[in-house]
Amino acid sequence: MVKFSRRSFLQASGLAAAGLASPVGMPAVLRSAQAQSGPVKLGCLFSSSGTMANLEGRLNYVVKMAADEINAKGGVNGRTIEVLVSDPASDWPLYAQTAKQMLQQEKVAALFGCWTSVSRKTVLPVVEQEGGLLYYPLHFEGDENSKNVVYVNSPPASSVLPAVDYLMSDDGVSAKRFFMLGSDYVWPRTINKQLKGYWASKGIPESAWKEEYVPFGFSNFQTLVNQIRAFADQGGGQPVVVLTVVGNSIPDFMREFANQGILATDIPVLGLDMVEADLEGLDTSKLVGHLNCWAYLQNAAGPANEAFLKSWAGYVGANKVPFSPDVSIDPMVSAYDSVHLWAMAAAKAGSFDVPEVSKAFAGLSFDCPSGYKISMTGENNYVARGVFIGSVNDKQGFDILWQSKDTPTPVPFSPYG
Amino acid sequence: MKHWFLPSFLFGLLAGAWLLPAPAAQAAGLDRAGLVQDLCGDAGAMGRAGAALTATAATGSDDERAWAAPLARAAIDRKLACDAAGAVLTEGGLDALTRAPREAQGTPRSPLLSLKNRPVYELADAAFALRGAPDAGRRAAALRTLERRPALIPEGLLDMAAEAEGDAGLKAQIEALAQTAALNAADPAARIRALSRVADNRSRRALTQVTALAQDPAYASNPEFRAAVDAATARIERGIAIGDALATLYNGLSFASILFMAAIGLAIIFGLMGVINLAQGELIMIGAYVTFMVQQGLRHAAPALLDWYLILAIPAAFLVTAAIGIALEALLLRHLYRRPLMSLLATWAVSLFLVNLVRVVFGTQNLQFETPFYVSGGVPVIGDFIFTWNRMFAIAFAAVTLALTWLVVRKTPLGLNIRAVTQNRDMAACIGIPTRRVDMMAFGLGSGLAGLAGLALSPIYSVNPQMGQNFIIDSFMVVVLGGVGTIAGTVVAALGIGQINVLIEPLWGAVAAKVIVLLMIIGFLQWRPEGLFAVKGRRK
Amino acid sequence: MTPVSRDRPFLALVAILVIVAVAMPLLAGTPFALSRYLANAIGQLASFAVLALALDLIWGYLGILSLGHGLFFAMGGYVMAMYLLKHSFVVTGTVPDFLQFMGWKDFPFYWAGFDFFPYALAVAVAVTLLVSGVFGYVSFRSRVGGVYFAIITQALVYVAMLLMFRNDTGFGGNNGMTGFSVLFGWPMGTSGMITALSVVSLLVLASVLLGCRLLVGSRFGALMLATRDDETRLRTLGYETLRLKLIVWCLSALIAMVAGMLYVPQVGIINPRLLSPELSLEIAVWVAIGGRGHLVGAVIGALLVNAVKFWLSFAAPEVWPFILSGLIVLVVLVFPNGLIDLAKLKLVRPMGARRMAAELEEAR
Repeated sequence: MVKFSRRSFLQASGLAAAGLASPVGMPAVLRSAQAQSGPVKLGCLFSSSGTMANLEGRLNYVVKMAADEINAKGGVNGRTIEVLVSDPASDWPLYAQTAKQMLQQEKVAALFGCWTSVSRKTVLPVVEQEGGLLYYPLHFEGDENSKNVVYVNSPPASSVLPAVDYLMSDDGVSAKRFFMLGSDYVWPRTINKQLKGYWASKGIPESAWKEEYVPFGFSNFQTLVNQIRAFADQGGGQPVVVLTVVGNSIPDFMREFANQGILATDIPVLGLDMVEADLEGLDTSKLVGHLNCWAYLQNAAGPANEAFLKSWAGYVGANKVPFSPDVSIDPMVSAYDSVHLWAMAAAKAGSFDVPEVSKAFAGLSFDCPSGYKISMTGENNYVARGVFIGSVNDKQGFDILWQSKDTPTPVPFSPYG
Repeated sequence: MKHWFLPSFLFGLLAGAWLLPAPAAQAAGLDRAGLVQDLCGDAGAMGRAGAALTATAATGSDDERAWAAPLARAAIDRKLACDAAGAVLTEGGLDALTRAPREAQGTPRSPLLSLKNRPVYELADAAFALRGAPDAGRRAAALRTLERRPALIPEGLLDMAAEAEGDAGLKAQIEALAQTAALNAADPAARIRALSRVADNRSRRALTQVTALAQDPAYASNPEFRAAVDAATARIERGIAIGDALATLYNGLSFASILFMAAIGLAIIFGLMGVINLAQGELIMIGAYVTFMVQQGLRHAAPALLDWYLILAIPAAFLVTAAIGIALEALLLRHLYRRPLMSLLATWAVSLFLVNLVRVVFGTQNLQFETPFYVSGGVPVIGDFIFTWNRMFAIAFAAVTLALTWLVVRKTPLGLNIRAVTQNRDMAACIGIPTRRVDMMAFGLGSGLAGLAGLALSPIYSVNPQMGQNFIIDSFMVVVLGGVGTIAGTVVAALGIGQINVLIEPLWGAVAAKVIVLLMIIGFLQWRPEGLFAVKGRRK
Repeated sequence: MTPVSRDRPFLALVAILVIVAVAMPLLAGTPFALSRYLANAIGQLASFAVLALALDLIWGYLGILSLGHGLFFAMGGYVMAMYLLKHSFVVTGTVPDFLQFMGWKDFPFYWAGFDFFPYALAVAVAVTLLVSGVFGYVSFRSRVGGVYFAIITQALVYVAMLLMFRNDTGFGGNNGMTGFSVLFGWPMGTSGMITALSVVSLLVLASVLLGCRLLVGSRFGALMLATRDDETRLRTLGYETLRLKLIVWCLSALIAMVAGMLYVPQVGIINPRLLSPELSLEIAVWVAIGGRGHLVGAVIGALLVNAVKFWLSFAAPEVWPFILSGLIVLVVLVFPNGLIDLAKLKLVRPMGARRMAAELEEAR
């Protein structure tokens, strides 16, 4: 065993100490002094690396863009907004860690973050314990109503059921048989549970549906597409696929589906997490007709959307953002809406304290780029959004097949689960 | 006999709920104005317009058909602009009703076909094309579209088209299709004929269709009919069984070829130097990215050759990754000679570096690849088995790679040196083989093979910076199971793992299959650690 | 080997750990108190250091590299999480998420009894010993070693990850388990609880350090080193190396399990990511960077690398992977003994000589 000299050991432990005495280690007292004046900080919890990077990475920039817009109009309550970006690297525990850091160390006024429900569920105990506020921009499975989370996007009653109803109706394809294929985690499992309850309430027998789950990041769908074809061939009514896989699994699945020669007019796929960004890199001429359902589609008409698309394209060019300036997806718009909703609430409350800001939610309304006026009530932290059903076109985008007349009231807890 | 159109045909027959009334010969003329108005209406109106178009295609006069044909196509391609004054065909800028040149007024709306209406319009468009298109190829394509939805084919269309058809082969096909539709006709002889044609396509849809006939009153009453139905059922079931077996073999072979290509480079390197190259997955990823760059380059420089980018990228992918491998060996691994555990960590560091470098340079999104004709779509062969071209490409590529690698290792001086150094490094050095140079070249070869794997995988998997990590554990297992340093071992291990995985998958799911296979390998290795085909020589 | 009482750096490290552990609760409430975030971070770092010690024990002193120690870490973590969830359920009545979204009415049968901590602990120890014992016995008996062993441990932890990702195994699947509200009857999340957990982690680290040091300083430790350097020779002398390796392997697994049990309550969630092959590889990196074969080195390596990672993943997330890969390459090439070399500032030794020395150390 080698003998150290005292000097060498002190050098080594000095290094360790240096690591701890980084900004992480600065005593809290110094930091809180800064918090009272100067810019107000907002934190982002979107990954720029790992499986979710391609989708979540964009949202960091949208939040920054929204903050710039608000700052250009004078900020909020006389202070400018500073956006803190981190990288939880698609690692769910790291979301919690980073959230803790942002709330405890940086004292952010609000957090904007999470895509997958698992990341949200990780952050939830942290925001509840710290008394923070998380704006969650994705549509999700509902069944949650924390006063520390603002649910900016739709629960299943306004994001899944309209599309399923459409498919089951005569206007749709009179769907009678359902193949549910999802990634194995809370969102697909909950959605499918609710759908099964819904179908049972309509008298659809258990033999009419089939459920399969694949791991996150799964890409080899050969056998599963074979199974879907076999399911379809059993007869008994028009089959549809309810697809709740996420991330890269979506384009991998659609590619295999098209390669085996199945068209949307044979077996339509309702891709509940499918956005325009998932169609990048696919030959969509064979995928025309598959559906999705969101609170915003890039092809939404109206001046609000035109302005948003223009701002985004300009922002991408000016700041060398590593994402396409021509693609805009629902979560981007929801993140954008979140920042504005927060700014409006803070301005209305005249303060940045979470309880005050929360009290100001009732009656807020904002002109969303989707063309709808989104709003919040005092009853819960859900935001009422419009509903779009999109249909894949051959230009890697979605045409608007149907949209709701107004913004239905969100239903947090499903009666079918 | 072409098997591939009958499956879609029979699927259409099953979709009885979609049966639209196929109108008998329409005595009254076509209401052109009403049709255009319906085209610009809601989904129901568009449905009515679709039905009218189909009827016109079947029984309309030549004049009417010529007028109506572009409307169907325009609706499908969204080249119809509806405004206050009616509609405009945007291709050519003609008014839909009068075909006079007109600009669309105000903010025109382009109607979108719902999923229910889309097949109707596609059918109408195909029906028009079948009777009216000048080009035989176009008519053949139209016939294929019609075969997808036979229940919607209006009565009389096929007979009229057959009559007017000049091309003999196509005429025969049209008549065959017409006959097959006679499955539910009145005449039992026609039904039996149709039955034998249906049974030619041995798929599950056909089976469902035919077994449904067992409920038909004619089954009980007519012994000839019953015999025909039973014979058809038996034939179809045999075909399905064969198809399923073939599908399992094919899927297993395709998975095995992917495993093989990912692992062969690793096998050579590990056999030679005892180094497990954790950066192998990233070399695969770089091979795919190089392929992408070649595609982009061709797009700008020589667009005519764009479809061949996969072939043209072969030397590029090989050389670039080989160069990276050689650099890796010369700069890093050379100094870690005889320290395999440290080199493992070092290669992991390199893999981390490469993933993030590519991420920073190219971004995290999936790359957009063109799908050339030779890797898109598939060919139904028998039963429900479809031969997809992209996986066939991978299998063929793997076979060629195998052959070339075997050639290099067995027939070239470099290969001889590699084998010698693998078996006994010190002795090989003693007799004058430049072991360090052999190491470098072999590493280059192994890395180049990984690059080729990336090329072959680009039509199958999404290409992004993380893609390499999906292959690492599997390639290790193939190498370690097959026996280090042997090509035969790698092939057998890849085939075994691929096939077993595919066999288990439909029973217990993909994850269980992977878990079981890995546990089996771990168990096997405890019993026989040197793998299936061990190279005789001192184990490092 | 230097006796413990004269091993200055070692004693200094233990002293520092104990001092910090004692100071934290004393300073609480004063203006010099550590922030909750920092206290929590220290606790997590301490549990990583315990994990690094577990690996250093078998890698530095036995020469067996395991790239699957995350498995035992996760075993401890999962059992702790099960205890916390069941206990929280019994005390507060909140039903865990995974039960809800799977639509299950009750906990699966294998969850029974987990609200009783000694039972949970016993299960953790039993499972860890079973898995490590069986795997170790079968591997060592067939003389599987070196790179093969490392790869197989990677595959093992990967298999475990795939299994745990499945929601129907009843351990929360991809979502993992979170929402731990109560520990031993006290609410979690309070400053007091955070400090207490951190202090416990530090004290456990100090005791494990002491224990390992005593072990490797004893006669048994000499046998371990002999096994590392030349197992064949040791066997020729008549020693039963299989039993020796098995004992140390199981001990190492238990230490990793303890680390997991400390980690999970402090991070507030457990998730199959703990079983990712990358994390298990990183443990080896911590030990390599700190200096393997020196317990102090392992602890410092773990503390340093993770502290930098915490800091950078917030301050400059894009940069961290590059820094990590650079650090690994640097250590592997230039400082084969990790930070120990740096501390001794032995850069001037010619590469060749140093390489030879390192090769001798790594006989396989």
